[in-house]
Amino acid sequence: MEDLKKENDLLEDILARFDVEGQVQRERRIWVKASEENLTSICKFLKEMGFEHLSAISVTDWLEEEELELTYHLWSYDERVLLTIKTRISRENPVIPSVSPIWDRSAQVHEREMHEMFGVKFEGNNDMAPLFLEDWNGPPPFRKDFDWREYVKKEYYSKDNEREAVYYE
Amino acid sequence: MNDKVVVESISKNEYELFFGPAHPGSGNFSVKLKVDGEKIISARADPGYLHRGFEKLMEYRLPIQNAVLSDRLCVLEALNWNLAHAEAVDELMGTEIPERARYIRVIMAELSRIQSHIIWFGAFSIGTGFDTGFKMAFGYRDYILDLFEMITGGRVYPTGYICPGGVRRDLPDGSKEKILRVLDKVDKMVKLEVMENPAMVARTEGIGILKLSDAIRLGATGPVLRASGMKTDVRKDDPYEVYDRFDFEVPVRNEGDAYARYMIGIEEIKQSISIIKQTLNNIPDGDFIAKKFEKPKLNIKIPEGEVYVRNEISRGEAGIYMVSDGGGKPYRVKIRGPSFLHMISVLEFLLEGTQIADVPAIYWSLNICPADLDR
Repeated sequence: MEDLKKENDLLEDILARFDVEGQVQRERRIWVKASEENLTSICKFLKEMGFEHLSAISVTDWLEEEELELTYHLWSYDERVLLTIKTRISRENPVIPSVSPIWDRSAQVHEREMHEMFGVKFEGNNDMAPLFLEDWNGPPPFRKDFDWREYVKKEYYSKDNEREAVYYE
Repeated sequence: MNDKVVVESISKNEYELFFGPAHPGSGNFSVKLKVDGEKIISARADPGYLHRGFEKLMEYRLPIQNAVLSDRLCVLEALNWNLAHAEAVDELMGTEIPERARYIRVIMAELSRIQSHIIWFGAFSIGTGFDTGFKMAFGYRDYILDLFEMITGGRVYPTGYICPGGVRRDLPDGSKEKILRVLDKVDKMVKLEVMENPAMVARTEGIGILKLSDAIRLGATGPVLRASGMKTDVRKDDPYEVYDRFDFEVPVRNEGDAYARYMIGIEEIKQSISIIKQTLNNIPDGDFIAKKFEKPKLNIKIPEGEVYVRNEISRGEAGIYMVSDGGGKPYRVKIRGPSFLHMISVLEFLLEGTQIADVPAIYWSLNICPADLDR
């Protein structure tokens, strides 16, 4: 039997303060769905509650819904719980307030990567220089509608090249 | 304000220096240093030389292929990444892993941690000009690679040995004796305790001090965080596999300098040896892979859902966030490597204000791997 009292108490505490949805997935795992508007306030609250470690920021591209889903994975060294906040923003105009005032440099670097790979703009984060891709002018490469196979064929391969012609058959 | 302008205009010694990517002591990674004479004014990490786009590649492949791909996340600890990937798929699919497989997974992960720490010591030594340490470390590491070859078939890349459902093969006959003999050899190497070399101590003590508040703010994890005084270990705090059944210590030091970081590594090797011995004494008989995965099938579907798996690998916290929309391939995989923050935010912070001669000592004390940074 798993004892989920700690997790349920934490979640209730959050639900009482904010207008969000949440669930306890298993021991030490809580998932919370927040809207873009109360993201900053909920993050501030969680940081004060002891979620000091921002483990990762990720983006999932939901092509059919035309939305980008941001996930913030937070770990609390005291409570020993991983809490994930999920927020959806529009795919056309992906702008969201930065959490770097809250988690400082660690958030700043994670946001920089997500900006490069998914084209999300983080308002308030002033260093968005590319990390991995050099001289890249194409669309954000980790989005679902970017097909790298097609891109490579178009940009770098040639039908006339004997070895590469096979890719056009 | 005026003073500053004057100083800048008369300083003729200011220049930019590249540490890497073709530097023998940097790996496939570079740091741009702004230097005034010998003093570093600012540092800017420049990653990307090993970027292969794993997160995207995994969206195009089945878990059985991704298990092989996950080796390549980090050359130096392929089995630990194997394990993290397999756990993510297992949790999404709700697979019951046989007990024996869980024990074998722990043995392999800990052996991998030991050899990764040994490489750390080797790289640290060569970076600071201590060739004997480098050669000794790589010599002893080969014993562990021999074990990997015997068990998985590959010396460096196990090609998906730890796969969704369990492990690919059972331990061969006589493994226990062979593993114990190798552990004795590693124990001997640790006892030779090369860090007592006065030159090494002088190069590392008091260098690159990271305070606990800074470590948390910059997102440090693993040995780097523990050397700054935080007692935390994913194996203890967020146990996975069967780690909660074993008795081991989490080494902590308060100095936060390069020497403390490395000594944490030495302590962790000793703890890993103890874990492997406990595992070998308690390993149950039975299956080594769940029935469903015994024969590799291509039509296995991952149920809809999402998980975030955390593992303690030798460098720190590894995370895999996997989303499935119910198809055979993961919809999105996010890989969180520990070096991502160690090599960008922590390294930039530590290098500022130090001397050029201290760069390798600080750089290698962070136990970094450009491969899991760039992915």
